[in-house]
Amino acid sequence: MSLEESTPDTVDRGVTTAEEIEALLGDLVLDRDDHLNAPGFVVRPDQVQDTLFRLRDEAGFDHLSCVTAQEYEDRYESIYHLKKYDDPTDEVSVVVPTPTDDPVSESAEPVYRTAEWHEREAYDLVGIDYDDHPDLRRILLPETWQGHPLSRDYDQDRPQVVPLREHANPLQEDHEGDEGDTMFLNIGPHHPATHGVLHLKTVLDGEQVVDVESDIGYLHRCEEQICQQGTYRYQIMPYPDRWDYISAGLLNEWAYARVAEDLADIEVPEYAQVIRTMGAELCRIAAHMLAVGTFALDVYGDFTAIFMYAVRDREKVQNILEELTGQRLMFNYFRLGGVVWDLPEPREDFFEMIRDFLDDLPEALEEYHDMISANEILQVRTVDTGVLPPEVAKSYGATGPVARGSGVDYDLRRDDPYGYYDELDWNVAVEDGCDNYSRLLVRLREVEESAKIIEQCVDLLEDWPEDERTIQSNVPRTIRPDDDTEIYRAVEGAKGELGIYVRADGTEKPARFKIRSPCFSNLQTLPEMSNGEYIPDLIASLGSLDIVLGEVDR
Amino acid sequence: MDGVFLQSGTPTGTANATANASAGGPIATLPETISGALGLSGTLGDVVGGLLGAFLVANIMLGMTALAGPWAKRKITAAFTDRIAVNRIGPFGLLIIVADAVRLLSKELIVPEGVDRPAWDLAPIILPFSALLGFAVIPLGSGLQLADPETGIVFAFAAASIASLSLVMAGYASNNKYSLLGALRSIAQNLAYEIPLVVTAASVIIFAGTFQTSEIVAAQTETLVSLGGVSIPSWYAFVNPFAFVLFVAANLAEIGRNPFDIPEAPTEIVAGYQTEYSSVYFVLFYLGEFIHIFLGGALIAVLFLGGPAGPVLPGFVWMVIKMWAFFLFTQWARSAVPRVRIDQLIEMGWKGMLVLSFANLVLTAILVGVIA
Repeated sequence: MSLEESTPDTVDRGVTTAEEIEALLGDLVLDRDDHLNAPGFVVRPDQVQDTLFRLRDEAGFDHLSCVTAQEYEDRYESIYHLKKYDDPTDEVSVVVPTPTDDPVSESAEPVYRTAEWHEREAYDLVGIDYDDHPDLRRILLPETWQGHPLSRDYDQDRPQVVPLREHANPLQEDHEGDEGDTMFLNIGPHHPATHGVLHLKTVLDGEQVVDVESDIGYLHRCEEQICQQGTYRYQIMPYPDRWDYISAGLLNEWAYARVAEDLADIEVPEYAQVIRTMGAELCRIAAHMLAVGTFALDVYGDFTAIFMYAVRDREKVQNILEELTGQRLMFNYFRLGGVVWDLPEPREDFFEMIRDFLDDLPEALEEYHDMISANEILQVRTVDTGVLPPEVAKSYGATGPVARGSGVDYDLRRDDPYGYYDELDWNVAVEDGCDNYSRLLVRLREVEESAKIIEQCVDLLEDWPEDERTIQSNVPRTIRPDDDTEIYRAVEGAKGELGIYVRADGTEKPARFKIRSPCFSNLQTLPEMSNGEYIPDLIASLGSLDIVLGEVDR
Repeated sequence: MDGVFLQSGTPTGTANATANASAGGPIATLPETISGALGLSGTLGDVVGGLLGAFLVANIMLGMTALAGPWAKRKITAAFTDRIAVNRIGPFGLLIIVADAVRLLSKELIVPEGVDRPAWDLAPIILPFSALLGFAVIPLGSGLQLADPETGIVFAFAAASIASLSLVMAGYASNNKYSLLGALRSIAQNLAYEIPLVVTAASVIIFAGTFQTSEIVAAQTETLVSLGGVSIPSWYAFVNPFAFVLFVAANLAEIGRNPFDIPEAPTEIVAGYQTEYSSVYFVLFYLGEFIHIFLGGALIAVLFLGGPAGPVLPGFVWMVIKMWAFFLFTQWARSAVPRVRIDQLIEMGWKGMLVLSFANLVLTAILVGVIA
């Protein structure tokens, strides 16, 4: 596996260094505000689009990973974290300060479609207005909410009144005469196929979807603020488990571990990295099993064998994870600088448990292929439905299996290596069908690849010399990163790029903790996939996105 | 339990009327047997015999449904999905039937705001009623046949089709968009599949030369071939396997089972036409669906599998076995086959099965004409 293969030095990598970017942007740059992960350029609020267009079209930064908004004492600030799909280690941050009394900034939506939701969230929680935004409304909180919870002058004690109004058909006025009426349908928040509390405002023409809009925020639990109130060392780590709670816990914990370790410059022993890699891939299998099972449930429509088989195999993974971490869902196993404890004793039994699972897995996967991917009715249902072209996927910041199902070869484990991944032999699963079927295949293939990774990790761990089993490096009891250091780091979660931005202010707690949820960006692509298709395909597309509302809403 | 009594009583009158029409048929029907045994004659004998006969048959069907709904369905699905299912109450968990009946019937009957009252209340009654009505002409074997009119098989199809009316009433009266979608889907589906179903049945009728169910069954008793001393009867499933497959597929769509459970489609439109129903009304829908599965199985048995015919065991037992075999098949399909999309379903119905069923009909007619 190799980073070298994918980005050989001979290839022209375009504009990459900070100096080149600065030269490209020219007088758009007011100042430099470098972050630990990327050079940062301060631009004027009314030149955001100019800057981003130039970075996208001339420097190849085609991935708006995240938009972070925050309020300082003297100003508001929006940060656009840009990356390249070809090489996510090329990063740049565009910092847009706006005055406290008039926080208006130009919207990035015309450049990157994904900015629409990210800026709505920034408006909702922090209170920055975006000029030229197509639809600047609250996104997580109810429309009638007063104040912006992450702004400095927010009054927590103020009573909030949230009235319930009937939802109106947004296309009502488009009808010409009496012919061709459309029907507005609320799919969710209580619906068998929304995988949690998602509300789809759907407009139907007969059985066909003419307009669908996701209404999210039902599961908003202030996760970012919770993390801002915890200390780096111990108090934040339990929470990532609760973002994507579909047993992807260790993957989420790694997102925090990576950002905090890079921020505080903590080394992780190699032995712990191998354990982390193994645990994370086990979580990925568990998460993908559930994704495949529920997707099949959505398409099959009834309680079918395939769902039970997927859950059965997921149970086996959870048994292994329980042995390792003591928990089945909320693991809290990672620590800054390593993991909390070593593998369970007797180690042979534990390795045998994993090997038994890995031995049975090919047969189980064969069964899945027989029952789902080879099933002709399922193919008729899923091939060429929910089509998401690669360029659209990139514009919406789609990552993970959703992007890889659209032929976008983007996997942070390979492209921005961390842990032990670059030492191991595995492949990135990419399908270029761009449809629901491709996304299903990507997940099934990723399970195989994860199994390969786990097997190699077990081999390594079995032969690891007993006196070199360091599970944690020496980490200070209290971590106080320097004032005004900022960092954005991402890992490949089960659903895609799970990133975290942290700004330190010299205390032991983060001043701003921003979560970049892959599901949040992926869910944005739903209307692109579903408009013009039938309700059953809308449901199938939603299932193929594999969203977890806990992570979408945070 | 009002609902149950209501439906077991409802078909009685109609069944009785049909029994009158067919008096003097070749085989003694159940009402005739009963009135004969009681020594009653004339109108009184017809009424008493008809009532008692219908009561008996309806209760057999409801009993089978009770076994199938809360218990067998769970056990079968569990077997397909590597689980155990109900096993806590009574032997093999059988008493769950009682527990579930009490549980479901004691739930609050929620009447949503704005429902179209008479239609909303009638719909759950019509569904089981229509299926039970169909059983009036089905020869269940061992002398269990309520009526044997000359138009028997047509009557059965006509009665079964009333189900669509119930679904439309439920969907339209529920004041719920999901219900409405379910109702519209069920009409579209029934239109698309009723025609191939009846046309395929017509090919059997051409073979048998009669609409009378007892005659169709009788026509299948002849030996088709003898293999090593074992004579294979000329069941139409053996004579015309193509028609059999068509009929079974169309029947799955007709009764709305996977892969054609479009009108309910839980993951898409919540529960379709029955979204707003709870408690007794829900039980009635549930009962009605299961009786429809059994009626579908009975029609398949009568038209293609020699009705109650079979070796060693009495006819009634064979009939029950054949109906349960079809039920098992629907549950198998439910566990293993994905649902098709509504437009694909309609396309399969109008462009595929309709053409095939007419081809089958024409070919059968030519074949029968040549042989005759």
